[in-house]
Amino acid sequence: MGQKELKVAFLLALRSLQRGSRSSVILTVLIIGMCFTNMIFLPSLFNGIGQSITTQIVDYEVANVLVSPKSGDRYVTDLDATLDLINGMPGVERATPHYSKGATLKYRQRVLGVSVRAITPGDEKYVSPLYSKMIAGSYLGEADTGEVIIGKSVAGDATVREEDEFEPSLGGVRVGDSISIEYGNGFTREYRVKGIYFTGWSPVDNTVYTTWADMEEVEGKPLDQADYITVKAKPGYTEKFIKDELQQYGVSEKVQTTADLLSKSMGQALQTFAIINMVSLFVSIIITTVVLFIVITIKTLNSRKQIGILKAIGVDKEVIMHNYGFQVIILAILGIILGILITLALSVYMSYNPVVTPAWSATLYITPLDLLLNSVILFIAAIVAGYVPAYQVSREDIQTAMRS
Amino acid sequence: MIEIAGLRRIYRMGDVEVKALDGITLDIAKGEFLGIMGASGSGKTTLLHMLGLLDEPTSGHIIVEGTDITRLTDYEKTMFRLYKFGYVFQDYALVPDLTVMENVSLPAMLRKDRTEEQIQKDSDTVLEKIGLFERRDHLPRELSGGQQQRVSIARAIVNKPDILFADEPCANLDSENSRVVLELFREINEEMQQTIVMVSHEDWHKDYFHRIVRLRDGTVISDGYNGKEGKAG
Ligand SMILES: Nc1ncnc2c1ncn2[C@@H]1O[C@H](COP(=O)(O)OP(=O)(O)OP(=O)(O)O)[C@@H](O)[C@H]1O
Ligand SMILES: [Mg+2]
Repeated sequence: MGQKELKVAFLLALRSLQRGSRSSVILTVLIIGMCFTNMIFLPSLFNGIGQSITTQIVDYEVANVLVSPKSGDRYVTDLDATLDLINGMPGVERATPHYSKGATLKYRQRVLGVSVRAITPGDEKYVSPLYSKMIAGSYLGEADTGEVIIGKSVAGDATVREEDEFEPSLGGVRVGDSISIEYGNGFTREYRVKGIYFTGWSPVDNTVYTTWADMEEVEGKPLDQADYITVKAKPGYTEKFIKDELQQYGVSEKVQTTADLLSKSMGQALQTFAIINMVSLFVSIIITTVVLFIVITIKTLNSRKQIGILKAIGVDKEVIMHNYGFQVIILAILGIILGILITLALSVYMSYNPVVTPAWSATLYITPLDLLLNSVILFIAAIVAGYVPAYQVSREDIQTAMRS
Repeated sequence: MIEIAGLRRIYRMGDVEVKALDGITLDIAKGEFLGIMGASGSGKTTLLHMLGLLDEPTSGHIIVEGTDITRLTDYEKTMFRLYKFGYVFQDYALVPDLTVMENVSLPAMLRKDRTEEQIQKDSDTVLEKIGLFERRDHLPRELSGGQQQRVSIARAIVNKPDILFADEPCANLDSENSRVVLELFREINEEMQQTIVMVSHEDWHKDYFHRIVRLRDGTVISDGYNGKEGKAG
């Protein structure tokens, strides 16, 4: 197969697409484009959801590394010493303790069971963007007592009747209002609502934050223990590095990175996603393959006689085969380009109009690698689909072709 | 230049055998304008396809300038057709999506011994010759049947083949256009000493042939120079 042969094959292919049926070309390109979009849309959406959940979990739940009680223990004990130890390590931005306690909130006629989280507000700023999510009032101060901040879902909306509520709330608490909190151990007190926040991460929006000092009052003793410690890494340090470091420096508690936790808690979901992705991938590949196979088969059948003539006048069968091969390649490239454009357009649209649910908001998460990988897969499928009939017709006997 | 010896072609359809060619022996000389005539089904097309390497004989030999072409491999046959033969078919058989110019240049483009400029020059020359240079950028469907057949002749001769084969090139044309096409063949034959083997069953075409071979049931029944046809055997 020399250069001249390829040139002639390409010329034949190009002219056939340019001067043949316009609508067939447009339709084929459209179908390939849609298949490409189909291949990449669901996985990207799932990826977007996954990314969104991961970000929320890092931001509001575990930061980069989570230090939790060793098995058998309920709390991380010897808290001050442990915090000092971790905060002194290279690469650690800040370590903060979390301590939660079940409680019942009362506001006017409403009663609501929540889990109240005690934090150290100043340190928490380094770990979580919660402080920047205030929609009314202000964030907790380090030494505040008798004050709490509550999630938007807890505060509720006074204009919505109780029976119409999507999830139970206190029915319209405003900043400055006073709510009564009765803790599981019987401790009860009135707290002033200092601020209301909205993060978009449902578990947090359904909770109440209080200061460490207030929680010590509830427990009636200095609190040198925590449910867990969240550790934020400095930029440039990996979670793995921090984890290894913590374990080496003798943190005897259980140390897990976000990735460790996610692979456990989201493993199931990810598996389901992976299956759906596989199915949509296969469907797209099959549709593309079948469509191109049919398009090229029809083309070859319609021009059997002409193919016979071309072979008769001395056009080599390889040229005939590559003629159809090039047609498929051109159609596939156009289709993939269209698919990429559709996908990018969708992605831009969705970044302005994300899919929002109480738990997460998702946009399409597409990397250049995804685009490349899917393009290559689709391209290979297209070539296989096109070259099979092209090969067959190019081998056909001249007599059979010419006398047809 | 062509020696045909004991050429047979038998089609087998189930139990029935059709002897399309039943022992043809024939020599064709360089520069000859040979007409193959005979009734429908007499084996004209079959013979032409054998000579033109488009079909394989059941037995017998065809020797073109010392080469037994029945023994060539598939690829060698393709190259032989590309470099040595030119073909004109009954139904023009142009590539519908290529312009007149592209159709004519196509066989030349595949040859290793042609440069871009030469192809351009040769194509221009043959298009001038057939009188369709002005229409070179038109598609075949924009031309009349006669014009299309002239384009297909141009495509056949652009490579200056050793032998030009034509299977009833005028079958789809009225007598006016047939005459134009036959004149063109005569011109090519006389000016370029082009060897031509043409199949026809129109009796009046024989005025154009130097030599006429008549077939019946796959055998030669007469072979002779124009005007003085002799009996074969
Ligand atoms: N593929 C084939 N299978 C079976 N028989 C065939 C085949 N091709 C040709 N024949 C038979 O061989 C004989 C010669 O056919 P051929 O086409 O050479 O005739 P022809 O002289 O060219 O006729 P026409 O003037 O109609 O074109 C006919 O009887 C035909 O039916
Ligand atoms: Mg015939």
